Amino acid sequence: MMEMPETILEVRNLKKYFPVRGGILLRQVAAIHAVDDISFDVKQEETLGLVGESGCGKTTLGRTILRLIKADAGTVRYMGRDLLGLKEKELRKARLEMAMVFQDPYASLNPRMTVADIIGEPFDIHDLAKGNERKGRIVELLKRVGLAPFHMYRYPHEFSGGQKQRIGIARALAGDPKLIVADEPVSSLDVSVRAQILNLLKDLQDDLGLTYLYISHDLSAVEHMSDRVAVMYVGKLMELAPAEGIYRNPLHPYTKALLSAIPVPGRKAVKNRIILKGSVPTPIDPPPGCRFNPRCPHRQPICAKEDPEFIEVSKGHFVACHSRK
Amino acid sequence: MSGAPLLSINDLKTYFFITEGVVNAVDGVHLKINKEEVLGLVGESGCGKSTVALSIMRLIRPPGKIVGGEIWFEGHDLLRKSEEEMRKIRGGKVSMIFQNPTSSMNPVYTVGSQIAEAIKLHQDVRKHETDEKVVEILHKVGIPDPGKRAEDYPHEYSGGMCQRAMTAMALSCNPMLLIADEPTTNLDVTIQAQILELMKALRKDFGASILLIGHNLGVISELCDKVAVMYAGKVVEYSKLEMIFEKAKHPYTQALLESIPRLDAGAERLRTIPGTVPRLINPPPGCRFHPRCEYAMAVCSKQEPPHVEIGQGHTVACFLYTENGRTKRHR
Repeated sequence: MMEMPETILEVRNLKKYFPVRGGILLRQVAAIHAVDDISFDVKQEETLGLVGESGCGKTTLGRTILRLIKADAGTVRYMGRDLLGLKEKELRKARLEMAMVFQDPYASLNPRMTVADIIGEPFDIHDLAKGNERKGRIVELLKRVGLAPFHMYRYPHEFSGGQKQRIGIARALAGDPKLIVADEPVSSLDVSVRAQILNLLKDLQDDLGLTYLYISHDLSAVEHMSDRVAVMYVGKLMELAPAEGIYRNPLHPYTKALLSAIPVPGRKAVKNRIILKGSVPTPIDPPPGCRFNPRCPHRQPICAKEDPEFIEVSKGHFVACHSRK
Repeated sequence: MSGAPLLSINDLKTYFFITEGVVNAVDGVHLKINKEEVLGLVGESGCGKSTVALSIMRLIRPPGKIVGGEIWFEGHDLLRKSEEEMRKIRGGKVSMIFQNPTSSMNPVYTVGSQIAEAIKLHQDVRKHETDEKVVEILHKVGIPDPGKRAEDYPHEYSGGMCQRAMTAMALSCNPMLLIADEPTTNLDVTIQAQILELMKALRKDFGASILLIGHNLGVISELCDKVAVMYAGKVVEYSKLEMIFEKAKHPYTQALLESIPRLDAGAERLRTIPGTVPRLINPPPGCRFHPRCEYAMAVCSKQEPPHVEIGQGHTVACFLYTENGRTKRHR
């Protein structure tokens, strides 16, 4: 019998609204419902893929979990500890175990710092290593991500996009993290370089026992990377299931449409493509009921009135849809 | 195939003269597009595919310059046309859809008036006819309530609608050649699916030849008849769509196809291409792909591989396939 994987991250009813101000007095006139009552678990050493179209709130969700953005409501438990309630000092310590790999490696590395200082910054902040030990660990990290020790004295501009992302990954690994939130880590890279980074992330996971929250809009890359996949739409989760379940047996109409919209290399047409009408609604005061109802091909009267619950319809397969009860 | 190709590019060279040196963005490109054919031009960012498009439109601005080659369109060399003559062709017989629809429109004019401008420039029509034409073409590209939406400004359109409006503008004068530079790259997948559907329908309606530039091989597959693969300023392989996906010959094309995660294949590990795309200031000598190529031979770093026809209309620039070269077998 395999041991049940322990839950590393537990997100419950997480909410983040951004105020929209207007008028002369700049009063709050509306709110962007970026993350609206989201709950899910991430298990140890798995990759949970989070997919959705631009503006659906997936980046905000990732950042709110790591407390880079303050949540408005809900709880985030990391190894049983409530992250949102931690004091500044405790939070700093906890952050060592959680790291983030950012979307744009060109913008997320300080151009005035050498690679050694970028990767070594966590050591300095947390007083983990000094002098030769610090240097040794930087060299070790560089080798881990496929760079050479002599790279440590160079500046970010001397590297290509793929190498920059390797530096970003090395920095994320510096604190010996268990959980890494990777936000579109390859979308700004050349196609031929993406595979290198995806393979590197997989190798690191195998070697170091990492857990990933992999955020992306690229459904093919998410399938390649993930054990389980969550589909997000306008601030809410629509479906969450093992990757197999999402890709072979999608239940939510949005997931189905999303999957059928992807053009497959080498194929003239996708069979039974579902073309959604209209575009993604703004998350500013979204429509009542199911967020997807204005575009849904299977809409019923109830969909515009009641928000469907996020329920488990088969083992590990959650879906928020009125037609699945 | 009937008659001469609609567009044929011979040995096109477009260089950028910057302080650091000369960037050989397009370096000896040969291409041809037949009537009513859709050619996909694929390659990674910086390989020169957009520069090819801008060269056809003669929209290369300093420090860039077209330094050599010919672009034959309807029996005339576009590179020998005067600026005056080019202006008549642009937006008329040859038109272009740009990558970023929201920033390619003028924000201070209504969408309708921008489309009307193109019609007025190229067609001899009256004011009220122009307005009718604008509404008609907006309707054709699927803008709901086109009469009213023509009065809107670009910021009132969503990304997908802007792309539809751009397409409407490009098609308003019934072009013979439409150049579409990454028309869906900035759009979400569900919107991309809408635009793909639109382009397929328009292809049937308008009968224009299309040069579709892109790096998304899925999008290319759905729309194109033929594909040209570019790498570092050169075309490395050219063939019918099916041949590229089933029997790609150039090591770069093969590696590119295998390095993309695909929904229909559950490979544990992706194939990687070592190294990165070379800078075009000092491109590698010989075949530009040789430093990253697993089949590289001694000759590859010395001589440039010629284009060899290895099957009907299937050409490849690689020494593995030259007549007297070795015939090493690939998968």
